[in-house]
Amino acid sequence: MSIEIIPADRFTIQELTDLYNQTRVDYLVPMPMNADRLNEYIHDFNVDLRRSGVARDANGQVLGLSMLGIRQEMAWVTRLGILPSSRRTGAGSLLMDFMLNNADTLGMKETHLEVIKNNEPAYTLFLKKGFVESGTYLVMRHAPRPLSDSLQGDVTWLDFEKALEKLEDYPEHITWINALESMQNSPNTEGLQINFPDGTSGWLVYRNTKFTLRSTLSHLIMHTEQGKPQNVGMQLLSHLHTRYLHHDTYAENIHENDPHLPAFHALGYFTNFSRIEMRRQRDGN
Amino acid sequence: MAKILYIEDIQDNITLVEKIVTSRGHEFLFAHSAEEGLEMAVMSRPDLILLDLGLPDADGQTLSVWLRGDPALASVPIIVLTAWPEEVARQTVDAYNLNGYLCKPFSLSSLVKMIDSVLDSKS
Repeated sequence: MSIEIIPADRFTIQELTDLYNQTRVDYLVPMPMNADRLNEYIHDFNVDLRRSGVARDANGQVLGLSMLGIRQEMAWVTRLGILPSSRRTGAGSLLMDFMLNNADTLGMKETHLEVIKNNEPAYTLFLKKGFVESGTYLVMRHAPRPLSDSLQGDVTWLDFEKALEKLEDYPEHITWINALESMQNSPNTEGLQINFPDGTSGWLVYRNTKFTLRSTLSHLIMHTEQGKPQNVGMQLLSHLHTRYLHHDTYAENIHENDPHLPAFHALGYFTNFSRIEMRRQRDGN
Repeated sequence: MAKILYIEDIQDNITLVEKIVTSRGHEFLFAHSAEEGLEMAVMSRPDLILLDLGLPDADGQTLSVWLRGDPALASVPIIVLTAWPEEVARQTVDAYNLNGYLCKPFSLSSLVKMIDSVLDSKS
């Protein structure tokens, strides 16, 4: 099959949205989008549509797409999908080559991506393109519910600027969607700092997003400055959910070994699915 | 006869469920997105909502919170119909205080049985 890759900026957002949804119609976790959400996604995660691709056959039929985020010296592959009827045609491989060539041409030192755990065809493709695993992350949910734990600690609520200051000092690796740049791109970024008399302290940065209809908490990044992460995490989450009692919460990309994980579970968070982060150095592996 | 609203973005699934629901004498309504589903639920006051978890504008978990947040809809039973893994469906029903789930592909008889059971317990 003859396949060409066309820059995605030659398509409308609605056309890209329709194609993206069609590529995932048979996924266990399809995560469909509408045009508004895709637009927001492109903005928040610095997706460059000129360097993103759409695969098309010789008859002009679209087969799939993929997107490339660009930040300083880092690139991020996302939204890769091929129509069910066009898989095993090489379209996915060509899309990856297109984007990795773009990343290399731009001088990107490293390219990251995330793949849903157990998506073996995609995982195998990424290995072939030189990516290696760098971590497993959980996508978790928390439904609104009354809290039984008593609130402790002295809490300071952080506005956009102060929340970003916390993230600037975060010592651990953060995946693309929760990185400083992603949080800077959303005016809904907030946070809270907690301090205890014994010196224990920590903070939580998150988005309080006006989705389409109602507010939702998402993009939670938690850090314990001093003390036991489980205890600090419990209190940070308890304060958050007491203040936003009726908000649904979507916590993406919590590392599987995050020391705050027991706190998430204790507060009633459960895992929707897992993602594997993979990285590729520019000079190959 | 009950009024049943199905919120699902895939038309083939809507067509299949519509046949089952109407063959039992129920009134059938549908919506393709969370926003449309919420609007239709507010306007039509269904007796039962069938809810897909993967919707294009907000997922079914979030939509269930919005539905439960409307006092007029707070007690309307919600059954999840999903292709997500069963463990996720079960935890979703527990955490979001929903009324049941069926994982796709499900049998026609299991859907009929669950609808009857939920409507019976409601009445």
